[in-house]
Amino acid sequence: MDYVLSLLPAMLEGTGVTLKLFFYTLVMSLPIGVVMALARITKFKPLNILMQLYIWVFRGTPLLLQLFFIYYGLAQVGIKFDRFTAAIIAFVLNYSAYLAEIYRSGIQSIDRGQYEAADVLGLTRLQTMTKIILPQMFKRVLPPISNEVINLVKDTALIYVIGISELLRVTKTSAVRDFSFVPWIVAAIFYLVMNGTVQQFFKWLEQRFNYYR
Amino acid sequence: MYMLQAVDVYKKFQRLEVLKGISLQVRKGEVIAIIGPSGSGKSTFLRCLNRLETIDSGLIEIEGEIMVKNGPDGKALYSPEAEIAMMRRKMGMVFQDFNLFPHKSVLQNLMLAPMLVKNTETSEAEQIARTLLDKVGLGFKADNYPFELSGGQQQRVAIARALAMNPEIMCFDEPTSALDPEFTGEVLNVMKDLAMENMTMLVVTHEIGFAREVAHRVIFMDEGLIVEQGKAEAVLLNPQHERTKAFLSKVLMAR
Repeated sequence: MDYVLSLLPAMLEGTGVTLKLFFYTLVMSLPIGVVMALARITKFKPLNILMQLYIWVFRGTPLLLQLFFIYYGLAQVGIKFDRFTAAIIAFVLNYSAYLAEIYRSGIQSIDRGQYEAADVLGLTRLQTMTKIILPQMFKRVLPPISNEVINLVKDTALIYVIGISELLRVTKTSAVRDFSFVPWIVAAIFYLVMNGTVQQFFKWLEQRFNYYR
Repeated sequence: MYMLQAVDVYKKFQRLEVLKGISLQVRKGEVIAIIGPSGSGKSTFLRCLNRLETIDSGLIEIEGEIMVKNGPDGKALYSPEAEIAMMRRKMGMVFQDFNLFPHKSVLQNLMLAPMLVKNTETSEAEQIARTLLDKVGLGFKADNYPFELSGGQQQRVAIARALAMNPEIMCFDEPTSALDPEFTGEVLNVMKDLAMENMTMLVVTHEIGFAREVAHRVIFMDEGLIVEQGKAEAVLLNPQHERTKAFLSKVLMAR
């Protein structure tokens, strides 16, 4: 028990880094994903094609590769970020692409009659999107979004490869140093608690949206 | 001047000709029932009138204002979007599937468009909404959500929602076709009340009884053409055309 307690300060600090990346990524990619989804379905071809290309690239290559590229690759052509900024950029770019596709499928699942009803009532396209389509879309995409958010909690572990001391890296350091399996278990518990919270939050959110069907 | 006029309207979906030259003049206060077999183009025609579908050629006028006419090349040329928007405000539309906004309460469904489109004050919009809900007999459902209502109630809300924009013409696209038979009566009654108040109405319907009782004029469409039209009694009880006879005997047989 004392040993576990001795691990906690470093691991909590690592968790802090993990959570910071987690929240920065969410706060930025959740809204950016909406904009990208709208760009993805616009009838303005160039933007539409650009978005398809973007989504193809960022979903089609490993997040790890994107992380390496932004931190090490770009540094070689003179674009340098500090480690944490590089991590946030990679995560936001990557997660926005995934979220955009989820939003897109949500938007396209809304019945055509909703657009027509808004149209004959005289709503503009923008009003139709913001007042009618997107609010209904958010409810529908909650389950797939919660999946992505849980993935995000786990994906944060990837940033140890560019030398950031997040939870997993701290854990590994302790485990190797002390020749012990205990840190791994403690880390697992940390991740489970974080994702348990995420799950509960989405459960609550889904219930809140249950006032209509 | 006609409330609404359509002249020689043509419309194709890819290769399929849906409207092959439809003309129709509607006077203020007139109630017109459009009947015909499915696939006859009657819904498409109605949807063309408020530009839910665009036409290939022809003329459509709302109170003398041109929504679309033939350009020099003989193809449909639409007026500027802002003008069309003003014309469309004069037309209310009721759909087969109601298309209420599920995430809004009944009251909000009625208040939304007046507030967003006409900048009506919240209090005034609410007052209008409540008056209309009372009128369709659903004042007590104001704070419910659409999924809590029966089909008939939802359709009555949809009618009230269209009326909240204070239209001059009401278009109904098979308003009772998605309803269980037990609920059609309440919706038809609301429509009858509207007709009594001299609302101009265009009703695409399979309800022959309603057409006979309420419509001033009945139009029978088949294969993209108006085959026969005239006073409700005349067309429904004493049809001249073979296709009208065949259709009516089938429809009346089914009941």
